[in-house]
Amino acid sequence: MKWVFLPVIVAAFFCGGCGDGRFSADRAAERGTLIVGNNSEPQSLDPHKATAVADGKIIGCLLEGLVRPDPANDAEPLPGMAASWECNERADRWVFHLRRAQWSDGMPVTSHDFAYAYSRLLHPQFGGRYAEMLYPLRNARAYNEGRARWEEVGVQTPDKQTLVLGLTEPMPRLPLLLLHSTWFPLPRHVIEAHGGMLDRRSLWTHAEHWVGNGAYVLREHRFNDFLEVAANPLYTRAREVKNRAVRFLPVVNGFTETRMFFDGKMHMTNNVPPETIEAAKRRAPEAYCEDPYYCTIFYRLNTARPPLDDVRVRRALSLAVDREPLVRDVVRGAGRAAYGFTPPGAGYETPPMSPARNDRERIAEARRLLAEAGFPGGKGFPTLELMTSSREVQKVMAEAIQAMWNKNLGIHVDIRACEWTAYKAAQQNMQYDLSSSSWSGDYLDPATFVDLWRSGGGNNSTGWSNPAFDALLAEAHAASDASSRLAALRGAEGVMLDEVPVIPLYWAKRTYLKSPAVRGWHPLLLDNHPFDAVSVDSAESGKEAEK
Amino acid sequence: MTSRLLSRLGQGVLVVFALETVTFFLIRLLPGHPFLGERKLPEHILAQLQNLYGIDQPAWVQYGQYWKNILLHGDFGPSLVREGVQVSSVIAQAFPVSLILGVFGMAIAVFAGIPAGMLAAYRKNKWQDTLLMLLAMLGICIPAFVLAPLAGIFLGMHVPGLSVAGWDDPGCIVLPALTLGLVNAAYLARLARGGMLETLSQDFIRTARAKGAGPVRLLARHAMKGGLLPAISYLGPAFAALITGSFVVETCFQVPGMGMQFVNATTDRDYFLIQGLVLCYGVLIVAANMAVDYVQALMNPALRTES
Repeated sequence: MKWVFLPVIVAAFFCGGCGDGRFSADRAAERGTLIVGNNSEPQSLDPHKATAVADGKIIGCLLEGLVRPDPANDAEPLPGMAASWECNERADRWVFHLRRAQWSDGMPVTSHDFAYAYSRLLHPQFGGRYAEMLYPLRNARAYNEGRARWEEVGVQTPDKQTLVLGLTEPMPRLPLLLLHSTWFPLPRHVIEAHGGMLDRRSLWTHAEHWVGNGAYVLREHRFNDFLEVAANPLYTRAREVKNRAVRFLPVVNGFTETRMFFDGKMHMTNNVPPETIEAAKRRAPEAYCEDPYYCTIFYRLNTARPPLDDVRVRRALSLAVDREPLVRDVVRGAGRAAYGFTPPGAGYETPPMSPARNDRERIAEARRLLAEAGFPGGKGFPTLELMTSSREVQKVMAEAIQAMWNKNLGIHVDIRACEWTAYKAAQQNMQYDLSSSSWSGDYLDPATFVDLWRSGGGNNSTGWSNPAFDALLAEAHAASDASSRLAALRGAEGVMLDEVPVIPLYWAKRTYLKSPAVRGWHPLLLDNHPFDAVSVDSAESGKEAEK
Repeated sequence: MTSRLLSRLGQGVLVVFALETVTFFLIRLLPGHPFLGERKLPEHILAQLQNLYGIDQPAWVQYGQYWKNILLHGDFGPSLVREGVQVSSVIAQAFPVSLILGVFGMAIAVFAGIPAGMLAAYRKNKWQDTLLMLLAMLGICIPAFVLAPLAGIFLGMHVPGLSVAGWDDPGCIVLPALTLGLVNAAYLARLARGGMLETLSQDFIRTARAKGAGPVRLLARHAMKGGLLPAISYLGPAFAALITGSFVVETCFQVPGMGMQFVNATTDRDYFLIQGLVLCYGVLIVAANMAVDYVQALMNPALRTES
C-alpha cells in the first residue's frame, strides 16, 4: 500500500469502505483475470529451488517443459516444447524434437536451455533439493555426488532443436515424469546475467527480471499478499490462452479462504477445511467440489522400536482402525477409506491390505494377533506416542484412532502434537513411535508411492526393509513393458502391506469451492491444472446472490 | 532531560544487542533446520546448502559474520526459505502494511479506550462505570482469534464496503484495525480509569471543583494530565506491538504484514529473517519506550525534576 493512498484509506475507514459496490472477483473477471487461492506464499519461482505444491502451480504457468499437462486428463501429457518424440525398444533412450519457440524476451528456446537447466540442478555445488528427480538420467546421481563429469550424464544436444536423454533404466512412462518442473528448461542468458548458474541469491526470478517460456509472465509479486501472472504474447500457443491473467492468493487459513470466496474475493479456493464442508455444501452446493487426489494419508510405524518391531503388533494396530467412520465423521467425506497404500488410478490396481472381512472378524483377528504377541487384551502393552503435526484435523484424527485402539485392543497411546518443522525433524530422524504422515505423487505412476519403502530410502523413515520387496522393486524398474512393470510394483506393494510398516488410513480428496463462472476446469488426480485452459465468465462470480 | 534520554538510548542499544544475541543462539537450538521439507534431503545436498549459506560454521563464527554483514555492509542476509529474497525486502514490504494497520488500530484504541476510562472514573460505581468496565472486561477476555472471525462473518459479509479479508482495497483495513483497536481499547479503558480515579481523589481536583469547574474542564484540564500516565506507559510497547503486526489478526484477515512473517519465519527456521524481524521489533520497542519517557516527562513535573 503506497503512502500516497493514506488519505484515501482514512476516508474509506470513516465511510465504511469504498469501491463501486461490486466484488473483487467480478471486477477481475471483467479484466479477464482469474483469482485463485494458492494455500501458501511461494518459496521460490526457480524450479530448482522450489519444493512446495503452491510453487509448482505458479511455475507451471511461467515455464513449459518438453510436455505439458492435458487440462482434462493427467495420464496423457500433450506435446509442449517438444513437437514430437520417440524412444528405443528398451525405453531407455529418448529423442525429443523441439518446436520453434521463444523466451518471453524474444530469444529462442533451444535444447541447450534444457541441458543447462539439468546441469544446474545436478551440479555438485548447487544444492538442488529435488536433484533426485533427474536421477533417472544416466550418471546423474554420480555427477550430483561429485563422482562423475557432466559429459558422462545422459543428456545430449546434437543440435539446437534436438534433445537426447539416456536413462539408467527403461522408463516407458518418462513423459509423465517430464511434467514435473525439475525437467523444465531455464533461460541460460538471464541466469548468467544475474549471478550465474550457482548463485542461489540470484534475483532472476523477480518480476522485473523474469523471462520464461510458459503461457504467462510474472507481472507482480507482493509477499503474503498476491502473485499475478499475465499472458505471455510470445508463448507458442498464445492464441489458445483463455484468460489474460491469473492472480494467486497465498491464503494459508482455510476458514479465511472460505470467507473470502463467499465475500466475492476469489473465483476458486485451494481447500475447504473438514469443519466447514457441511456449511459450504449447504450454502453453495453448486460451488462445492470434491475431486479425487493422488495422495495417501497414513501413519508411519517405527519398526526399530519394540513392540512395533513385531509384525503381529503392527497388523493388530492396522486391523483395529475403523476407517469408514474415520472418513465419514472426522474428515467429513474428504477422502476414501484406504485398504492399500497407492491410490488407484493410472491403470494400477492397488493390492488389498488384507482379505475382506466384517468388522467383528477384523477386530477379533486384531485381538488374537496382539495376544499372540504377548499382550492379551492389551495387558502389558507399553504406552506408545502418536506424533502429529499441529493441524487441527490431524489432532482430531489422532484422538479418534486413540479411542479406536483403546476400545478395540485395550491399549493406550499418548498424542504429541508438534509444530511443523519439529514434527518433520522428528519423523525424518525416526524419533517417534507412530507418526501421522501423508504422501502425494510427483507424477501419475504408482512407483512414486511404492519407491518410498525401498531399504534405506530417504523417505522411508520407518526402519523397515525387506529383500523380497527390494527385489520386486528392482524387477519393476528393469521392466521395459508397462504391464510387467505394474505387476512387479503391485507385488512389491503387497509385500509391504503384509508387513505393515505403515497404516494406510484414507486416500485424500481435494475439497474446494469454485465459482460456476469458471470454465475449462476438470478434476485431475495430480491437481496439476494448466491455468491457460481455464476461463472465467464476467457475468457471474462466486459471490452468493443473497449477499 | 537530554541526559536522561541519552542514558535511555544507551540502555536501549544494549537491550537490542542482548535481544539479538539471545535470539541468534536460541533459534539455532530449535529442532530442525531451514532446509527441512516434506521430503528428506540427501545428506550431500543438505551439506551443500548449509555450506552455501555458511550455516555449517560454528555458531560463534556465524554470529561474528552476521554482525559484520550488518555493521559493514548493511546486509541483513537472505531468507533461507524463500531463496533469492533478501530479509530487507521482506521487511520493506511488510512493515508499511503493519504500520498502517497499527496506526488505525491504535487510533481506535485511544479514541475509544481513553474517553471510556475517563467517563467510567468520573461516574464511579454508577451504571456507566459498570457498563463500560463490563465491556472492557469482555474486550480483554475475548481473544482476537474469536473476535476476528466473528467480525468477518457478521460485519464483513453483511456491511457493504467492508471486506472479510485481503489487502486489495481500502475497505480491507476496517475490520482488522477494529479488532486490534478494540482489544487494546479495553486495556486502555481500565488503565485510564485506574489512573483517573487516583487523580480525581487528589486535593487539587477538590479545589478545582470548589472553584466551579465543570466535568469537561475538570477532566480535560485538571485530571487528564496526571490520570493518563499509566495509560501512556502502556501505549509505547502497545504501539510497537501493533505496528510490528499481529499474527492472529493478519492470518484471519489475510493481511500481508509483519506478524505473519514473524510466525512463519520461526516455524520455518528462517534464521536470518527471524533475526531481522527481531532487530526491527527491538528497535521499535526501544524507540516507543523512549517516546513514552519523553511524553511522561513532559506531563509529570516530578520526572522532569528527577532528570
